[in-house]
Amino acid sequence: MGQLRKPPLLIEALMLLLALLFLLPVCYLLMMSIKQPAIFYDPFKLPNQLYLEYYKAAFQDVAFFRGLGNTLYVTLGGLVLTILVASMSGFVLARMNQRFFRYVFLFILSGLIIPTVGSLIPMFKLAIALELINTRTLLVFMAAAAGIPMATFLYSAFTKSIPRELEESAAIDGCGRLRLFWMIIFPLLMPATGTFVITNIYAAWNDFVTPLIFLNDPSKMTLMPQIVQFMANKQSINLGPVFALSVLSVLPLVVLFLFTQKYMLKGLVMGSVKG
Amino acid sequence: MPALLIFGMFFYLPFLQSIYYSFTEWNALKPPRFIGFDNYVNLLKDQRMKDGFFNTMKMVAFGVIVQNTLALFLAVMLNKPFRTKAFLRTSLYLPIVISLVVTSIIWGQLLNYEGLFNGILIRLGLESIIQDWLGTVQTSFPTIILLTQWQGIGYCAIIYLAGLQSIPNDIYEAAEIEGAKGFTLFRTITLPMLMTTVSVVLFLIVVGGLRLFELPYILTNGGPGTSSYTLFLAVYNAAFQNTQYGYATAASIVLAFFIIIVAIVQLRITSKREVEL
Repeated sequence: MGQLRKPPLLIEALMLLLALLFLLPVCYLLMMSIKQPAIFYDPFKLPNQLYLEYYKAAFQDVAFFRGLGNTLYVTLGGLVLTILVASMSGFVLARMNQRFFRYVFLFILSGLIIPTVGSLIPMFKLAIALELINTRTLLVFMAAAAGIPMATFLYSAFTKSIPRELEESAAIDGCGRLRLFWMIIFPLLMPATGTFVITNIYAAWNDFVTPLIFLNDPSKMTLMPQIVQFMANKQSINLGPVFALSVLSVLPLVVLFLFTQKYMLKGLVMGSVKG
Repeated sequence: MPALLIFGMFFYLPFLQSIYYSFTEWNALKPPRFIGFDNYVNLLKDQRMKDGFFNTMKMVAFGVIVQNTLALFLAVMLNKPFRTKAFLRTSLYLPIVISLVVTSIIWGQLLNYEGLFNGILIRLGLESIIQDWLGTVQTSFPTIILLTQWQGIGYCAIIYLAGLQSIPNDIYEAAEIEGAKGFTLFRTITLPMLMTTVSVVLFLIVVGGLRLFELPYILTNGGPGTSSYTLFLAVYNAAFQNTQYGYATAASIVLAFFIIIVAIVQLRITSKREVEL
């Protein structure tokens, strides 16, 4: 289907226009973070100098690095914990064919359908009972619990492409089960890990609802609620610092995205073929 | 298995407890007390819940029809060998990584009464239609729906693109030799081969639509009046502003079962279709 023919210039121009339309809000975000106060609310004036006071204010008024640290802690903690437990369970579930394991697999997959919304309040109670309320550890556990179904599914799908002989010969050479998994199987499952990380890191980083509900100590806050609180405190004054803070919080993800977007598509293609 | 433990404890247990609590009267002052279906009956009388429900349904319907179609179209276009392919793809996907919080901040400013959007309308001589897009009963929720598209279309287009790329090329070549082209090719080969992807995308759209929260929470807090409430926002406010835990749980259970039913129905339909094809 014209796979090799180049499409006409007119269509290309239209697509470019569309792309620019999509990019416009991003440019606007950047622009607003460096626009001087005098012209801040005049939508048609472009900033003519690099005005960095907002960034200074963002660093001074908000503990940006603390928020960044908290976000990193929760995001990476959740991903690492998910990968640790789901890679093992996915592998085991793909290898075992007894009825019990098939039911366990279905039980875990049902988590893909049941939404977290339904359990927010009992979750709140559970967190109090476990004395995990208002801790970042709780967020790590919740992120892991929510990520496990998808990750287990991915790992078990990829496990099926690893030949069993590999495990048998390693076992003959006297390799223990855990070592066998972490030294031999886990590296081979790297594509699954990559796919999972690339497709989940954005949602984890940008999560707003969970920290909003389960954290209230400002020193533990992640970036997203931090921005909203900052905005609420600044209502009547210039929103410049809020934009600056937003740019700072988005920047790491944009950089990551630009470097990994090729793999993102590849991972999805692989996932869809295997699944 | 640790995976099962974490999953069971932080996922399944709370969900099952939810079902019980939804039948109780429970708030910050009183412990849970069993009251049968009263919470569910009250749900039907609550204006926030009603608006939340209908808005959420509008969101889902719009997503399934418009977002889904546009995303598929965009993916087909992006699969063609444009000269600026890399740039096109990057700029259409970039919004995905931007958090909903930051999205709200950007668009909140753009759509302000004195914001850029109205400014452009004035310059185009369309002064008669300018208004406070997020502060008017008639326009607040439609605006929010449109805003979700900025990220939603690109996100679904990526998944479609992945689906398109996993269709082997020789099928197209064979069909071209047979003399098929253009839209026929799309209808008879691309679409059937893409059915699994379609079901994945539809599922994501429905679930995403049902849990719409950040945009209305930050931009309008459900207002003006109750015009831009969504179900999730109504649950959140009932639980954490008014501390009616039992009542909020009932609402969240309705929401949850809605998602589950949609998911099951959809799995049925799409798996049947796949077999037929």
